[in-house]
Amino acid sequence: MSILQDIPILSLILLSPLAGLLVVLLLPKHRSGWMKTAAVTATLVPLALSLWLYADYDKQQGGAAFEEKLNWVDVPLNKELQDISEFVFKFQYTLGVDGLSLPLLLLTTLVTAMAALAAVHVKKRWKSFFVWFLLLETGMLGVFLARDVFLFFVFFEITLIATYFLIGIWGYFNRERAANQFLIYNGIGSAIMLLAFVLLVNTAGFRIDQAGEQTSFIYSGSYTDIFRNMADPTAWVNLSPDQMGAVNPFQMTDTMQWVLFILLLIAFGIKLPVFPFHTWMLKVHTEAPPSVVMIHSGILLKMGAYGLLRFGVLLFPEQARDWAVVLAVLGVINILYGALLAFRQQEFKLVLAYSSISHMGIVLLGLAAFNEIGLQGALFQLVSHGLISALLFLIVGSLFERTGTTELSELGGLARSMPFMSGVLLTAGLASLGLPGLSGFVGEFLAFLGLFESMRWLTALGVLGVILTAVYVLRAVLKITFGTQPERFGALKDARLVEAVPMIVLLAFILLLGCYPSVLTDTVQYSIGGLFEQLLATRAGG
Amino acid sequence: MDMYSQAAWLIPLFPLAAFLVLTALGRSFRRAGILTGTAGSLAAFVLSMIIAVDRLGGRAVDYNYAFDWIRIGDYTLRIGFEVTNLTAMMLVVVTLVSLLVNIYSAGYMKDDERITVFYGYVALFTFSMLGLVLSDNLLSLYIFWELVGVCSFLLVGFWYAKPKARAAAKKAFIVTRIGDAGLLLGILLLFWYMPDHALDFTTIQSVFDGQSGAITTGITTLIALLIFLGAVGKSGQFPLHVWLPDAMEGPTPISALIHAATMVAAGVFLIARTYDIFLDSAAAMETVAYVGGFTAIFAATIALAQNDIKRILAYSTVSQLGYMMMALGLGSLTGGIFHLFTHAFFKALLFLGAGSIIHAVHTQNIQEMGGLGSKMKVTAWTFAIGALALTGIPPLSGFWSKDLILTVAFETNPLLFVAGLAAAFCTALYMSRLFFLVFTGKPGAAADGAHESPATMTAPLVVLAALAVLAGFIETPWNGWFGSWLSGEAEAAHGSGVAIVASIAVGLIGIYVGWLIYGKRSVSRTAARERLPWLVKLLEKSYYVDELYAAVVVRPLKTIGSLLMVVDEYIIGGIVRLTGIVTASAGRTAARLQNGQVQTYSLTAVIGFVVIIVAIVGRRFWP
Repeated sequence: MSILQDIPILSLILLSPLAGLLVVLLLPKHRSGWMKTAAVTATLVPLALSLWLYADYDKQQGGAAFEEKLNWVDVPLNKELQDISEFVFKFQYTLGVDGLSLPLLLLTTLVTAMAALAAVHVKKRWKSFFVWFLLLETGMLGVFLARDVFLFFVFFEITLIATYFLIGIWGYFNRERAANQFLIYNGIGSAIMLLAFVLLVNTAGFRIDQAGEQTSFIYSGSYTDIFRNMADPTAWVNLSPDQMGAVNPFQMTDTMQWVLFILLLIAFGIKLPVFPFHTWMLKVHTEAPPSVVMIHSGILLKMGAYGLLRFGVLLFPEQARDWAVVLAVLGVINILYGALLAFRQQEFKLVLAYSSISHMGIVLLGLAAFNEIGLQGALFQLVSHGLISALLFLIVGSLFERTGTTELSELGGLARSMPFMSGVLLTAGLASLGLPGLSGFVGEFLAFLGLFESMRWLTALGVLGVILTAVYVLRAVLKITFGTQPERFGALKDARLVEAVPMIVLLAFILLLGCYPSVLTDTVQYSIGGLFEQLLATRAGG
Repeated sequence: MDMYSQAAWLIPLFPLAAFLVLTALGRSFRRAGILTGTAGSLAAFVLSMIIAVDRLGGRAVDYNYAFDWIRIGDYTLRIGFEVTNLTAMMLVVVTLVSLLVNIYSAGYMKDDERITVFYGYVALFTFSMLGLVLSDNLLSLYIFWELVGVCSFLLVGFWYAKPKARAAAKKAFIVTRIGDAGLLLGILLLFWYMPDHALDFTTIQSVFDGQSGAITTGITTLIALLIFLGAVGKSGQFPLHVWLPDAMEGPTPISALIHAATMVAAGVFLIARTYDIFLDSAAAMETVAYVGGFTAIFAATIALAQNDIKRILAYSTVSQLGYMMMALGLGSLTGGIFHLFTHAFFKALLFLGAGSIIHAVHTQNIQEMGGLGSKMKVTAWTFAIGALALTGIPPLSGFWSKDLILTVAFETNPLLFVAGLAAAFCTALYMSRLFFLVFTGKPGAAADGAHESPATMTAPLVVLAALAVLAGFIETPWNGWFGSWLSGEAEAAHGSGVAIVASIAVGLIGIYVGWLIYGKRSVSRTAARERLPWLVKLLEKSYYVDELYAAVVVRPLKTIGSLLMVVDEYIIGGIVRLTGIVTASAGRTAARLQNGQVQTYSLTAVIGFVVIIVAIVGRRFWP
């Protein structure tokens, strides 16, 4: 037994940024230095706590020991018609971690802390910036911690709103357009997600509690309940009306399962983003302030993949398996389409945006593999890409501060005046193109390895993307660092300490995961293995 | 006693430590940097020698050790190292050339402000190459395979301010990456077909023993060809050879270390390591042999018409690697590895010699040199030894290894034997052209004030020259020691009089023709250009392979990219905008209905009422 199990560690992680938010609110408006310090500290606390949690996490046992549960909202329903003591919609404040969410939780705290450091470039309205920033962190943490579909939804929406303001106020020239497009697109995604959740709660969420004389009919948003019901062939949700005496309002027919699966695929596909729902994120990448893009491309995109895995694949394994080819084709399209377009961009930020599309394709391949290796690969790729893209946008931010441009045609030869930053940029680029020894390789390799079992030709096409990735990454990175520096930049200063620290930290994690991937895969493994056994045991027969 | 082999994992750690120290030191400690780099490779060399000598006695028990890298369910991907006689030999080659290059660079790179960075990269390369050599399975080999590639890329682009260096570095990385993608697919295929998903060489050897039949011939061929694709990229075989001549933009010591002696030979080493897969597939063996044979003659002819001293040597390397591949494809593991061994020394010698010349005259164009023989005696003599070894003149090392390959070809495949002889003739011709133009005749434009290089540069030349003379005696037509040591089986020493005579003859004729044209000058040098201008042009342009790639691959890719840009902007983006516009205008239309006039409201209500009635009535007739 460890100390962590005796304290509500998950709530502490979730709420510590909010505490920081309050502190920032109370600080005087003109003390920007104080506010930065407070905000950075407020992100370091959950980082430290989540590192502790990660170290303390018992891989075999899973995260059950840390689960926290509180009644949150009970919506009473009309119970006069039935002879029961309770008839409610029950939404609970349920937090939990397992091998799937823990790595992403750590990624969130890490990238957010680094992004807070990178927020030194923010020039106006520090107070509201950090308020939205810390709210955003709470939202992201909540998404990965929530174990109730409505809690998940609420946190998901919080990230949306916070990001909207962060882009709209502190972005570059076209920031408002970008923010609006972001909100509309993701709002549609959320609406679809909400629809799917409501349907889910009204069927798979229903349960009857029998406690002595008391009988309660409960519609529950609890993920655990929903998952158990979906996986249990004797649960109401899986019984046909004939088996129930002609009436079963809670049955989820095959068609409905498909509808739900596709709704979830679209809802999270927009976030991921899956081709052709990707155009909104291009503007975000170019217009949002660098520290927000770090979070956006480092974490927010991962929420899409996480949701797809947690709700799409795990709740609807049969549909996911039947559509594995579709997922794989979408993945390959993402990889090749993103790579080819990244190759033609003149704006470095757009190169990276399309590169994200390409790399998220690998995640889809891992999911489509539908075996342990592939899922491991998908999750590894999420974490790895989160670190790498955060690092790349961190550099972009520092670069823009100095040169005032990120157009490839105007940059060149920065290795001379900024050897450190150029070296980090080159290493990050190499990590992005999947160089072994750095984290990018492991995720790619595992995803390909997993997919190869069932879909060889699609894997081969995906591997083709590996070549293209080298082409566009080197084109962009070498254009910036190699060659001769345009004279108008004059003497450029290399990274300051406050910029160098997050670069080194992110790079260290990229190296660690690349050299010793077991740090991550061992944590993921038991959860995935366990889920898979459950899935295969209960549902594969059908 | 395998005590020493057990310590083999330490070998790569020395250069790795040197790399870390160099990176930490930064640029200001120049002397300390040079010493650190050299010390790292010296330590690695000493330990490698001890292991190799220890294994000479024939009690060769292979030693291996591995640790878990990733565990997934029941599978474990492992990283491990293994010492066999083949790896022991490679360890010595790599560490020795690395050590000599470290010493040499102290002179050659003396005035470069980033010399410590250079030493750091060289140390990192040495580490990766040693890791590659020691790997006991395909996955860890692949990891190090990529790492040597990236070191090569960094060093080719070392003078990053030069646009040509940038282009060459990029090209080197991308072209080899094409091969690497093949190798990766080969590994994936192997993983799913091997019993227990084993990827280590020992298991591969036992599964592909030609009898077990665990894997069908079709799949075996596919795996072998995919692995070979990796080797084609790394070892500069046709059609992926294009990066190697361009890679000469890197500092010359790098060309000697990476692009002559070690990394480019990794493809040959890879095939030797997985040789059992190839032996199981006749089709794959034939492909390897023909690609190798073709590359040998193809690159040798290009070398005839080049004027850049390093490009000549680069094409020569491509050609010699072709010989090695041909030997492997013809079933002679000994031939391929033996030539790898001798070639490492004499080609490193030639490159370092070229570096010494470039250091003195500051040009790479052999037409501007001339008469350097009297000014640079050590360089000239050692270069002559290297050139003769490459040409295959007995008793220098190149003769024995090339002769073994030609003998095998003579016995098994007359066509490839002829190709090999033709390539040998071209080799003799381009080397004598190079030698006579550079060292004899009237001093050229750039030869003024040329002088011998410092001792740090000439000492490695002398050591390599000695090896270029002696290294061949480990395997002669009368003594098959090397082959039996390598394979662990007693191999019959075999020689063929015809092959020996023919190979010596073409070598001598080639030199003689070269001497007539470029030494004695009794034949006009421009004769070929006047009679066959198209042929000379074709050779000078390296058969237009680069141009072909530009037209067939690069430009179509760019076009597709541009097309997709249009699609992304106008079709996909357009649909999104259209959706937005439709939604907004629908909203506006609906808003316009709320105009406060009772008539409008009642009209709307009536329409709605009618719709509902129709729906209810219509529902009955719906099937």
